Amino acid sequence: MEVEIGKTAKYLREKLGGIPEQAKKNLKEFNAIKRKMLDALKEEDLTVKQMSEKIDMPTHEVLYYLMSLVKYGFVKTGEVDDMDEYYTYKLNK
Amino acid sequence: MEKESSIPNGTNSNSPLGVGDSNPIKNITYDALVIGAGIAGGEVALNLANTGYKVLLLDKELSVGGKMIMLSKVFPTLDCAACITTPKVSEISRHPNITIFTGSEVSNIKKLSDNEFTAKVTKHPRYVRVEDCTACQLCEKACPVNVRDQYQFGLIGRKAAFIPFSICSPKAAAIDIDNCTLCGACEKVCPTNCIDFTQETEIMNLHVKTVVVATGFDTFDAKKMPRYGYGQYKNVITALQMERELAPTRPFNTILRPGDGKVPDKIAYVLCVGSRDASVGNPICSQICCMYSIKQAQLLMGALPMADVTIYYINIRSFGKGFEEFYQQAKGMGVNFVKGKIGRISEKESGNLILRYEDINEGKLQEAEHDMVILSTGVLPNTGIEKFFESQTLTLDPFNFVGQSDALASPAKTSIEGVFVAGTATGPMDIPDSILSAGAASSEAISYLINQQN
Repeated sequence: MEVEIGKTAKYLREKLGGIPEQAKKNLKEFNAIKRKMLDALKEEDLTVKQMSEKIDMPTHEVLYYLMSLVKYGFVKTGEVDDMDEYYTYKLNK
Repeated sequence: MEKESSIPNGTNSNSPLGVGDSNPIKNITYDALVIGAGIAGGEVALNLANTGYKVLLLDKELSVGGKMIMLSKVFPTLDCAACITTPKVSEISRHPNITIFTGSEVSNIKKLSDNEFTAKVTKHPRYVRVEDCTACQLCEKACPVNVRDQYQFGLIGRKAAFIPFSICSPKAAAIDIDNCTLCGACEKVCPTNCIDFTQETEIMNLHVKTVVVATGFDTFDAKKMPRYGYGQYKNVITALQMERELAPTRPFNTILRPGDGKVPDKIAYVLCVGSRDASVGNPICSQICCMYSIKQAQLLMGALPMADVTIYYINIRSFGKGFEEFYQQAKGMGVNFVKGKIGRISEKESGNLILRYEDINEGKLQEAEHDMVILSTGVLPNTGIEKFFESQTLTLDPFNFVGQSDALASPAKTSIEGVFVAGTATGPMDIPDSILSAGAASSEAISYLINQQN
Protein backbone atom coordinates (compact mmCIF):
# COMPACT_ATOMS: atom_id res chain seq x y z
CA MET A 1 0.00 0.00 0.00
CA GLU A 2 1.34 3.45 -0.91
CA VAL A 3 0.51 6.59 1.06
CA GLU A 4 1.02 10.09 -0.29
CA ILE A 5 3.50 12.19 1.65
CA GLY A 6 1.73 15.02 3.45
CA LYS A 7 -1.51 13.04 3.75
CA THR A 8 -0.48 10.33 6.18
CA ALA A 9 -2.91 11.43 8.91
CA LYS A 10 -5.71 10.23 6.63
CA TYR A 11 -3.97 6.86 6.39
CA LEU A 12 -3.86 6.45 10.19
CA ARG A 13 -7.42 7.76 10.59
CA GLU A 14 -8.65 5.12 8.17
CA LYS A 15 -6.49 2.44 9.76
CA LEU A 16 -7.90 3.23 13.24
CA GLY A 17 -11.43 3.60 11.89
CA GLY A 18 -11.81 7.26 12.87
CA ILE A 19 -10.58 9.78 15.43
CA PRO A 20 -10.04 8.59 19.03
CA GLU A 21 -13.13 9.64 21.05
CA GLN A 22 -11.19 11.09 24.00
CA ALA A 23 -9.05 13.27 21.73
CA LYS A 24 -12.18 14.56 20.01
CA LYS A 25 -13.82 15.34 23.37
CA ASN A 26 -10.70 17.15 24.68
CA LEU A 27 -10.48 19.30 21.56
CA LYS A 28 -14.16 20.25 21.76
CA GLU A 29 -13.76 21.21 25.42
CA PHE A 30 -10.63 23.30 24.76
CA ASN A 31 -12.24 25.10 21.83
CA ALA A 32 -15.27 26.00 23.96
CA ILE A 33 -13.08 27.33 26.80
CA LYS A 34 -10.86 29.25 24.37
CA ARG A 35 -13.90 30.88 22.77
CA LYS A 36 -15.37 31.85 26.16
CA MET A 37 -12.07 33.37 27.34
CA LEU A 38 -11.39 35.28 24.14
CA ASP A 39 -14.98 36.61 24.10
CA ALA A 40 -14.62 37.75 27.72
CA LEU A 41 -11.35 39.54 26.91
CA LYS A 42 -12.95 41.31 23.95
CA GLU A 43 -15.01 43.27 26.48
CA GLU A 44 -12.23 44.17 28.92
CA ASP A 45 -8.82 43.18 30.26
CA LEU A 46 -9.20 40.73 33.15
CA THR A 47 -7.28 39.18 36.02
CA VAL A 48 -7.52 35.44 36.67
CA LYS A 49 -10.04 36.05 39.45
CA GLN A 50 -12.19 38.33 37.30
CA MET A 51 -12.12 35.80 34.45
CA SER A 52 -13.07 33.07 36.90
CA GLU A 53 -16.17 35.00 37.95
CA LYS A 54 -17.05 35.97 34.40
CA ILE A 55 -16.95 32.49 32.86
CA ASP A 56 -17.73 30.52 36.04
CA MET A 57 -14.58 28.42 36.13
CA PRO A 58 -12.27 27.66 39.09
CA THR A 59 -9.30 30.06 39.26
CA HIS A 60 -6.66 27.31 38.93
CA GLU A 61 -8.24 26.12 35.67
CA VAL A 62 -8.49 29.69 34.41
CA LEU A 63 -4.77 30.20 35.04
CA TYR A 64 -3.89 27.00 33.21
CA TYR A 65 -5.96 27.83 30.11
CA LEU A 66 -5.10 31.53 30.13
CA MET A 67 -1.37 30.81 30.29
CA SER A 68 -1.74 28.28 27.49
CA LEU A 69 -3.46 30.97 25.39
CA VAL A 70 -0.60 33.36 26.20
CA LYS A 71 1.85 30.69 25.00
CA TYR A 72 -0.11 30.19 21.77
CA GLY A 73 -0.18 33.94 21.09
CA PHE A 74 -3.92 34.62 21.53
CA VAL A 75 -3.54 36.53 24.81
CA LYS A 76 -0.82 38.71 26.29
CA THR A 77 0.07 39.74 29.80
CA GLY A 78 -0.95 43.25 30.83
CA GLU A 79 -0.17 45.37 33.88
CA VAL A 80 0.11 44.22 37.47
CA ASP A 81 -2.25 45.80 40.02
CA ASP A 82 -1.24 48.46 42.58
CA MET A 83 -0.53 45.79 45.20
CA ASP A 84 1.83 43.94 42.79
CA GLU A 85 -0.32 40.84 43.20
CA TYR A 86 -2.45 40.13 40.14
CA TYR A 87 -1.68 40.67 36.47
CA THR A 88 -4.36 41.53 33.95
CA TYR A 89 -4.52 39.68 30.66
CA LYS A 90 -5.62 41.09 27.33
CA LEU A 91 -6.21 40.01 23.76
CA ASN A 92 -3.10 39.91 21.60
CA LYS A 93 -4.53 41.90 18.72
CA MET B 1 27.39 5.78 12.60
CA GLU B 2 23.69 5.15 13.00
CA LYS B 3 22.01 8.35 14.11
CA GLU B 4 18.37 8.84 15.04
CA SER B 5 16.52 7.46 12.04
CA SER B 6 12.82 7.01 11.68
CA ILE B 7 12.35 6.49 7.96
CA PRO B 8 10.30 3.32 7.49
CA ASN B 9 12.31 0.50 5.98
CA GLY B 10 12.79 0.75 2.25
CA THR B 11 11.52 4.29 1.83
CA ASN B 12 12.94 7.77 1.67
CA SER B 13 11.48 11.21 2.16
CA ASN B 14 11.05 11.89 -1.56
CA SER B 15 9.03 8.88 -2.52
CA PRO B 16 5.61 7.57 -1.56
CA LEU B 17 5.67 5.79 1.77
CA GLY B 18 5.46 2.01 1.61
CA VAL B 19 3.29 0.92 4.53
CA GLY B 20 1.53 -2.16 5.70
CA ASP B 21 4.48 -4.35 4.65
CA SER B 22 5.92 -6.77 7.17
CA ASN B 23 8.26 -4.99 9.56
CA PRO B 24 11.20 -7.44 9.98
CA ILE B 25 13.08 -7.44 13.26
CA LYS B 26 16.48 -5.86 12.70
CA ASN B 27 19.71 -7.04 14.30
CA ILE B 28 21.92 -4.24 15.63
CA THR B 29 25.36 -4.56 17.20
CA TYR B 30 27.32 -2.16 19.42
CA ASP B 31 30.12 -2.48 21.96
CA ALA B 32 28.08 -0.98 24.80
CA LEU B 33 24.49 -0.31 25.72
CA VAL B 34 23.90 2.65 28.04
CA ILE B 35 20.37 2.67 29.48
CA GLY B 36 19.30 6.21 30.34
CA ALA B 37 20.52 9.39 28.61
CA GLY B 38 20.59 11.75 31.57
CA ILE B 39 23.76 13.48 32.71
CA ALA B 40 25.28 10.21 34.03
CA GLY B 41 24.33 8.06 31.03
CA GLY B 42 25.51 10.77 28.65
CA GLU B 43 28.87 11.01 30.43
CA VAL B 44 29.32 7.22 30.30
CA ALA B 45 28.48 7.20 26.58
CA LEU B 46 30.94 10.01 25.86
CA ASN B 47 33.78 8.36 27.79
CA LEU B 48 33.23 5.04 26.01
CA ALA B 49 32.85 6.71 22.62
CA ASN B 50 35.99 8.82 23.09
CA THR B 51 37.90 5.58 23.74
CA GLY B 52 36.74 4.24 20.39
CA TYR B 53 33.83 2.04 21.42
CA LYS B 54 30.51 2.10 19.59
CA VAL B 55 27.73 2.98 22.01
CA LEU B 56 23.96 2.74 21.87
CA LEU B 57 22.53 5.38 24.23
CA LEU B 58 18.88 4.76 24.88
CA ASP B 59 16.21 6.75 26.70
CA LYS B 60 12.46 6.40 27.11
CA GLU B 61 11.98 10.18 26.87
CA LEU B 62 11.87 12.20 23.62
CA SER B 63 15.11 14.04 24.47
CA VAL B 64 18.46 13.28 26.02
CA GLY B 65 19.51 15.30 29.07
CA GLY B 66 17.43 13.62 31.76
CA LYS B 67 16.29 15.71 34.71
CA MET B 68 19.25 18.09 34.68
CA ILE B 69 18.30 19.69 31.38
CA MET B 70 15.00 20.74 32.99
CA LEU B 71 16.60 22.56 35.94
CA SER B 72 16.96 26.32 36.33
CA LYS B 73 20.35 26.66 38.00
CA VAL B 74 22.67 24.36 39.92
CA PHE B 75 23.92 24.59 43.51
CA PRO B 76 26.15 25.89 45.03
CA THR B 77 27.52 27.91 42.11
CA LEU B 78 24.17 29.11 40.71
CA ASP B 79 25.42 28.33 37.21
CA CYS B 80 22.74 27.98 34.55
CA ALA B 81 21.89 24.25 34.30
CA ALA B 82 21.10 24.44 30.60
CA CYS B 83 24.42 26.19 29.91
CA ILE B 84 26.25 23.20 31.41
CA THR B 85 24.00 20.52 29.94
CA THR B 86 23.50 21.69 26.37
CA PRO B 87 27.18 21.65 25.26
CA LYS B 88 27.46 18.12 26.66
CA VAL B 89 24.20 17.05 25.00
CA SER B 90 25.44 18.58 21.76
CA GLU B 91 28.75 16.65 22.02
CA ILE B 92 26.83 13.42 22.67
CA SER B 93 24.48 14.03 19.75
CA ARG B 94 27.30 14.77 17.29
CA HIS B 95 29.69 12.01 18.38
CA PRO B 96 30.30 9.54 15.53
CA ASN B 97 30.56 6.60 17.96
CA ILE B 98 27.26 7.28 19.73
CA THR B 99 23.88 6.23 18.40
CA ILE B 100 20.93 7.73 20.27
CA PHE B 101 17.53 6.09 20.50
CA THR B 102 14.97 8.33 22.21
CA GLY B 103 11.39 7.22 22.90
CA SER B 104 12.80 3.73 23.27
CA GLU B 105 12.83 0.93 25.80
CA VAL B 106 14.98 -2.09 26.43
CA SER B 107 13.96 -5.48 27.80
CA ASN B 108 14.93 -9.17 27.83
CA ILE B 109 18.62 -8.50 28.52
CA LYS B 110 20.41 -11.85 28.51
CA LYS B 111 24.05 -12.60 29.21
CA LEU B 112 25.10 -15.31 26.75
CA SER B 113 28.81 -15.33 27.59
CA ASP B 114 31.46 -13.08 29.12
CA ASN B 115 31.28 -10.37 26.49
CA GLU B 116 28.01 -11.16 24.82
CA PHE B 117 24.71 -9.70 25.86
CA THR B 118 21.50 -9.66 23.84
CA ALA B 119 18.47 -7.47 24.42
CA LYS B 120 15.21 -6.47 22.83
CA VAL B 121 14.96 -2.79 21.91
CA THR B 122 11.55 -1.26 21.29
CA LYS B 123 11.57 2.08 19.50
CA HIS B 124 8.23 3.85 19.68
CA PRO B 125 7.16 5.95 16.70
CA ARG B 126 7.65 9.72 16.98
CA TYR B 127 5.56 10.23 13.81
CA VAL B 128 8.20 12.72 12.67
CA ARG B 129 11.27 11.97 10.55
CA VAL B 130 13.82 13.56 12.86
CA GLU B 131 16.48 14.01 10.19
CA ASP B 132 14.09 16.12 8.08
CA CYS B 133 12.55 18.24 10.87
CA THR B 134 13.89 21.79 11.12
CA ALA B 135 12.06 22.50 14.43
CA CYS B 136 10.31 25.44 12.72
CA GLN B 137 7.30 24.93 15.05
CA LEU B 138 4.78 25.53 12.24
CA CYS B 139 3.17 22.19 13.13
CA GLU B 140 2.82 23.38 16.73
CA LYS B 141 1.09 26.56 15.60
CA ALA B 142 -1.28 24.65 13.32
CA CYS B 143 -2.23 21.94 15.82
CA PRO B 144 -5.59 22.75 17.44
CA VAL B 145 -5.15 20.45 20.45
CA ASN B 146 -4.21 21.52 23.99
CA VAL B 147 -2.99 19.05 26.63
CA ARG B 148 -0.98 19.44 29.83
CA ASP B 149 2.72 19.79 29.13
CA GLN B 150 4.56 17.03 30.99
CA TYR B 151 7.87 18.89 30.55
CA GLN B 152 6.39 21.85 32.50
CA PHE B 153 4.95 19.47 35.12
CA GLY B 154 1.39 20.22 34.04
CA LEU B 155 1.53 23.96 34.82
CA ILE B 156 0.70 24.94 31.22
CA GLY B 157 -0.57 23.34 28.02
CA ARG B 158 1.16 22.18 24.87
CA LYS B 159 -0.02 20.98 21.48
CA ALA B 160 -0.31 17.37 20.29
CA ALA B 161 2.28 18.24 17.62
CA PHE B 162 5.07 19.67 19.74
CA ILE B 163 8.76 20.29 20.32
CA PRO B 164 9.25 18.68 23.76
CA PHE B 165 11.11 21.73 25.11
CA SER B 166 13.25 24.49 23.63
CA ILE B 167 16.66 22.93 24.34
CA CYS B 168 15.68 19.32 23.68
CA SER B 169 17.92 17.02 21.68
CA PRO B 170 17.15 15.87 19.06
CA LYS B 171 15.56 19.27 18.37
CA ALA B 172 12.61 17.91 16.46
CA ALA B 173 8.86 17.79 16.74
CA ALA B 174 6.93 14.77 17.99
CA ILE B 175 3.29 13.78 17.79
CA ASP B 176 1.43 12.87 20.97
CA ILE B 177 -0.62 10.20 19.28
CA ASP B 178 -2.87 9.60 22.32
CA ASN B 179 -4.18 13.16 22.12
CA CYS B 180 -3.92 13.76 18.36
CA THR B 181 -7.18 14.21 16.47
CA LEU B 182 -5.48 13.14 13.21
CA CYS B 183 -6.76 16.31 11.53
CA GLY B 184 -3.65 16.55 9.36
CA ALA B 185 -3.18 20.30 10.01
CA CYS B 186 0.45 19.72 11.01
CA GLU B 187 1.19 17.87 7.79
CA LYS B 188 -0.34 20.61 5.65
CA VAL B 189 1.98 23.30 7.05
CA CYS B 190 5.16 21.23 7.37
CA PRO B 191 7.67 22.67 4.87
CA THR B 192 9.80 19.52 4.79
CA ASN B 193 7.02 16.89 4.84
CA CYS B 194 8.66 15.28 7.85
CA ILE B 195 5.46 14.31 9.63
CA ASP B 196 4.73 10.67 9.02
CA PHE B 197 1.74 8.93 10.60
CA THR B 198 2.69 5.67 8.91
CA GLN B 199 5.52 5.12 11.37
CA GLU B 200 5.18 2.00 13.49
CA THR B 201 6.89 0.58 16.54
CA GLU B 202 10.27 -0.90 15.64
CA ILE B 203 11.58 -3.97 17.44
CA MET B 204 15.30 -4.68 17.27
CA ASN B 205 17.54 -7.47 18.51
CA LEU B 206 20.55 -5.84 20.12
CA HIS B 207 23.96 -7.49 20.58
CA VAL B 208 26.45 -5.77 22.92
CA LYS B 209 29.51 -6.63 24.96
CA THR B 210 28.68 -4.59 28.08
CA VAL B 211 25.73 -2.78 29.64
CA VAL B 212 25.69 0.36 31.81
CA VAL B 213 22.55 1.13 33.80
CA ALA B 214 22.04 4.90 34.23
CA THR B 215 18.31 5.00 34.75
CA GLY B 216 18.34 7.91 37.18
CA PHE B 217 15.83 8.52 39.93
CA ASP B 218 12.18 9.19 40.54
CA THR B 219 10.72 11.69 43.00
CA PHE B 220 8.32 10.96 45.83
CA ASP B 221 4.65 11.33 44.93
CA ALA B 222 3.51 14.03 47.39
CA LYS B 223 -0.11 12.85 47.05
CA LYS B 224 0.91 9.92 49.25
CA MET B 225 1.07 12.39 52.18
CA PRO B 226 -2.46 13.86 52.07
CA ARG B 227 -1.81 15.96 55.19
CA TYR B 228 0.26 18.32 53.00
CA GLY B 229 -2.63 18.81 50.59
CA TYR B 230 -0.70 18.35 47.35
CA GLY B 231 -3.17 17.87 44.49
CA GLN B 232 -5.99 19.19 46.68
CA TYR B 233 -4.68 22.67 47.48
CA LYS B 234 -3.59 24.29 44.23
CA ASN B 235 -1.01 26.56 45.87
CA VAL B 236 0.95 23.59 47.20
CA ILE B 237 3.44 22.58 44.51
CA THR B 238 6.57 20.43 44.30
CA ALA B 239 10.11 21.75 44.06
CA LEU B 240 10.37 20.38 40.50
CA GLN B 241 7.37 22.52 39.53
CA MET B 242 9.05 25.55 41.14
CA GLU B 243 12.23 24.63 39.25
CA ARG B 244 10.27 25.15 36.02
CA GLU B 245 8.81 28.44 37.29
CA LEU B 246 12.36 29.66 37.92
CA ALA B 247 13.84 28.44 34.62
CA PRO B 248 14.39 30.84 31.69
CA THR B 249 11.94 28.69 29.66
CA ARG B 250 9.33 29.03 32.42
CA PRO B 251 5.61 28.45 31.90
CA PHE B 252 4.44 31.83 33.25
CA ASN B 253 5.66 35.38 32.69
CA THR B 254 6.88 35.50 36.29
CA ILE B 255 6.53 33.49 39.50
CA LEU B 256 2.82 32.90 40.03
CA ARG B 257 0.94 30.64 42.37
CA PRO B 258 -1.04 28.11 40.31
CA GLY B 259 -4.24 28.49 42.34
CA ASP B 260 -5.17 31.95 41.09
CA GLY B 261 -2.21 33.59 39.38
CA LYS B 262 -1.20 35.74 42.36
CA VAL B 263 2.44 36.81 42.65
CA PRO B 264 3.33 35.14 45.98
CA ASP B 265 5.01 37.14 48.73
CA LYS B 266 5.10 34.67 51.61
CA ILE B 267 6.56 31.40 50.41
CA ALA B 268 7.29 28.29 52.49
CA TYR B 269 9.48 25.28 51.76
CA VAL B 270 8.77 21.98 53.52
CA LEU B 271 11.86 19.78 53.53
CA CYS B 272 12.08 15.98 53.82
CA VAL B 273 8.73 15.29 52.10
CA GLY B 274 8.89 11.56 51.44
CA SER B 275 12.48 11.16 52.63
CA ARG B 276 13.92 10.40 56.08
CA ASP B 277 10.44 9.10 56.80
CA ALA B 278 9.97 5.38 57.44
CA SER B 279 6.20 5.88 57.62
CA VAL B 280 6.14 6.39 53.84
CA GLY B 281 8.68 3.65 53.16
CA ASN B 282 11.71 5.87 52.54
CA PRO B 283 13.88 6.22 55.65
CA ILE B 284 16.97 7.54 53.83
CA CYS B 285 18.11 11.11 53.23
CA SER B 286 17.75 12.30 49.64
CA GLN B 287 20.98 14.32 49.91
CA ILE B 288 19.92 17.02 47.43
CA CYS B 289 16.71 18.50 48.89
CA CYS B 290 18.32 20.86 51.43
CA MET B 291 20.58 22.39 48.82
CA TYR B 292 18.10 22.64 45.95
CA SER B 293 15.61 24.27 48.34
CA ILE B 294 18.24 26.77 49.48
CA LYS B 295 19.12 27.39 45.83
CA GLN B 296 15.47 28.01 44.90
CA ALA B 297 15.00 30.27 47.93
CA GLN B 298 17.90 32.44 46.74
CA LEU B 299 16.56 32.52 43.18
CA LEU B 300 13.10 33.45 44.47
CA MET B 301 14.53 36.32 46.46
CA GLY B 302 16.17 37.52 43.28
CA ALA B 303 12.98 37.17 41.23
CA LEU B 304 10.67 38.58 43.92
CA PRO B 305 12.77 40.97 46.02
CA MET B 306 9.87 41.80 48.37
CA ALA B 307 8.99 38.15 49.11
CA ASP B 308 9.54 36.40 52.44
CA VAL B 309 10.88 32.88 52.03
CA THR B 310 10.84 30.43 54.96
CA ILE B 311 12.40 26.97 54.95
CA TYR B 312 10.99 24.46 57.46
CA TYR B 313 13.62 21.80 58.10
CA ILE B 314 14.55 18.96 60.42
CA ASN B 315 18.31 19.30 59.83
CA ILE B 316 20.17 21.21 57.14
CA ARG B 317 22.69 18.81 55.65
CA SER B 318 25.21 21.05 53.93
CA PHE B 319 27.91 18.41 53.61
CA GLY B 320 29.44 19.08 50.17
CA LYS B 321 32.06 21.44 48.84
CA GLY B 322 30.78 24.99 49.16
CA PHE B 323 27.44 23.86 50.61
CA GLU B 324 27.80 25.40 54.10
CA GLU B 325 28.85 28.73 52.56
CA PHE B 326 25.84 28.53 50.26
CA TYR B 327 23.57 27.94 53.27
CA GLN B 328 25.10 30.90 55.10
CA GLN B 329 24.71 33.03 51.97
CA ALA B 330 20.96 32.25 51.94
CA LYS B 331 20.70 33.26 55.60
CA GLY B 332 22.55 36.47 54.79
CA MET B 333 20.08 37.21 51.99
CA GLY B 334 17.23 36.96 54.49
CA VAL B 335 15.88 33.46 53.96
CA ASN B 336 14.16 32.46 57.20
CA PHE B 337 15.14 29.00 58.50
CA VAL B 338 12.75 27.36 60.99
CA LYS B 339 13.67 24.08 62.62
CA GLY B 340 10.24 22.57 62.59
CA LYS B 341 8.36 19.48 61.51
CA ILE B 342 5.16 20.21 59.60
CA GLY B 343 2.21 18.24 60.91
CA ARG B 344 -0.54 19.49 58.65
CA ILE B 345 -1.33 22.06 55.99
CA SER B 346 -4.83 23.50 55.62
CA GLU B 347 -6.23 25.99 53.14
CA LYS B 348 -8.06 29.27 53.75
CA GLU B 349 -10.78 30.59 51.46
CA SER B 350 -8.25 33.06 50.01
CA GLY B 351 -6.08 30.16 48.85
CA ASN B 352 -3.50 30.96 51.53
CA LEU B 353 -2.16 28.02 53.50
CA ILE B 354 -1.87 27.48 57.24
CA LEU B 355 1.12 25.39 58.26
CA ARG B 356 0.80 23.72 61.65
CA TYR B 357 4.21 22.67 62.89
CA GLU B 358 6.29 21.61 65.82
CA ASP B 359 8.83 24.33 66.55
CA ILE B 360 11.72 22.10 67.59
CA ASN B 361 13.83 24.86 69.16
CA GLU B 362 10.91 26.32 71.16
CA GLY B 363 9.38 22.91 71.89
CA LYS B 364 5.83 23.95 71.07
CA LEU B 365 3.19 23.80 68.36
CA GLN B 366 2.98 26.82 66.08
CA GLU B 367 0.95 27.96 63.10
CA ALA B 368 2.08 30.15 60.22
CA GLU B 369 0.29 31.50 57.15
CA HIS B 370 1.89 31.44 53.69
CA ASP B 371 0.44 32.09 50.28
CA MET B 372 2.40 29.35 48.53
CA VAL B 373 4.03 26.13 49.76
CA ILE B 374 6.74 24.17 47.97
CA LEU B 375 7.25 20.54 48.95
CA SER B 376 10.86 19.41 48.66
CA THR B 377 10.09 15.87 47.62
CA GLY B 378 12.60 13.11 48.18
CA VAL B 379 14.57 10.96 45.76
CA LEU B 380 13.26 7.46 45.05
CA PRO B 381 14.59 4.67 42.83
CA ASN B 382 13.26 4.24 39.32
CA THR B 383 11.69 0.86 39.86
CA GLY B 384 11.57 -2.10 37.49
CA ILE B 385 15.11 -2.05 36.05
CA GLU B 386 15.81 -5.52 37.47
CA LYS B 387 12.96 -6.90 35.34
CA PHE B 388 14.87 -6.00 32.16
CA PHE B 389 17.41 -8.71 32.94
CA GLU B 390 16.53 -12.31 32.17
CA SER B 391 19.39 -14.79 32.47
CA GLN B 392 20.95 -13.39 35.64
CA THR B 393 19.58 -11.38 38.53
CA LEU B 394 20.39 -7.69 38.87
CA THR B 395 20.42 -7.35 42.64
CA LEU B 396 18.88 -4.27 44.25
CA ASP B 397 19.87 -2.68 47.56
CA PRO B 398 17.45 -2.58 50.53
CA PHE B 399 15.96 0.67 49.19
CA ASN B 400 15.46 -0.70 45.65
CA PHE B 401 18.30 1.24 44.05
CA VAL B 402 20.64 -0.85 41.86
CA GLY B 403 22.89 -2.82 44.24
CA GLN B 404 26.65 -2.31 44.12
CA SER B 405 28.47 -5.64 44.47
CA ASP B 406 31.43 -3.89 46.09
CA ALA B 407 30.20 -0.45 47.18
CA LEU B 408 33.52 0.63 48.71
CA ALA B 409 36.15 -0.69 46.30
CA SER B 410 34.26 -0.85 42.97
CA PRO B 411 31.06 1.15 43.31
CA ALA B 412 30.15 0.84 39.62
CA LYS B 413 30.02 -2.98 39.61
CA THR B 414 26.67 -4.75 39.91
CA SER B 415 25.73 -8.34 40.68
CA ILE B 416 26.16 -9.22 36.99
CA GLU B 417 29.73 -9.18 35.64
CA GLY B 418 29.80 -6.88 32.64
CA VAL B 419 26.82 -4.81 33.82
CA PHE B 420 27.76 -1.51 35.47
CA VAL B 421 25.77 1.22 37.17
CA ALA B 422 26.15 5.01 37.08
CA GLY B 423 24.62 8.05 38.75
CA THR B 424 21.46 8.13 40.82
CA ALA B 425 20.46 4.62 39.74
CA THR B 426 22.68 3.59 42.71
CA GLY B 427 21.17 6.04 45.21
CA PRO B 428 20.60 9.75 45.83
CA MET B 429 23.47 12.03 44.80
CA ASP B 430 24.01 15.49 43.33
CA ILE B 431 25.14 16.37 39.81
CA PRO B 432 28.95 16.40 40.34
CA ASP B 433 28.75 13.05 42.15
CA SER B 434 26.61 11.63 39.32
CA ILE B 435 29.26 12.66 36.81
CA LEU B 436 32.01 11.18 39.01
CA SER B 437 30.01 7.97 39.29
CA ALA B 438 29.60 7.93 35.50
CA GLY B 439 33.38 8.30 35.17
CA ALA B 440 33.85 5.28 37.42
CA ALA B 441 31.28 3.21 35.51
CA SER B 442 32.80 4.03 32.14
CA SER B 443 36.31 3.17 33.42
CA GLU B 444 35.04 -0.18 34.71
CA ALA B 445 33.23 -0.84 31.41
CA ILE B 446 36.34 0.04 29.35
CA SER B 447 38.49 -2.16 31.56
CA TYR B 448 35.98 -5.01 31.15
CA LEU B 449 35.93 -4.61 27.35
CA ILE B 450 39.75 -4.61 27.15
CA ASN B 451 40.04 -7.66 29.41
CA GLN B 452 37.54 -9.56 27.31
CA GLN B 453 39.46 -8.70 24.13
CA ASN B 454 42.72 -10.11 25.59
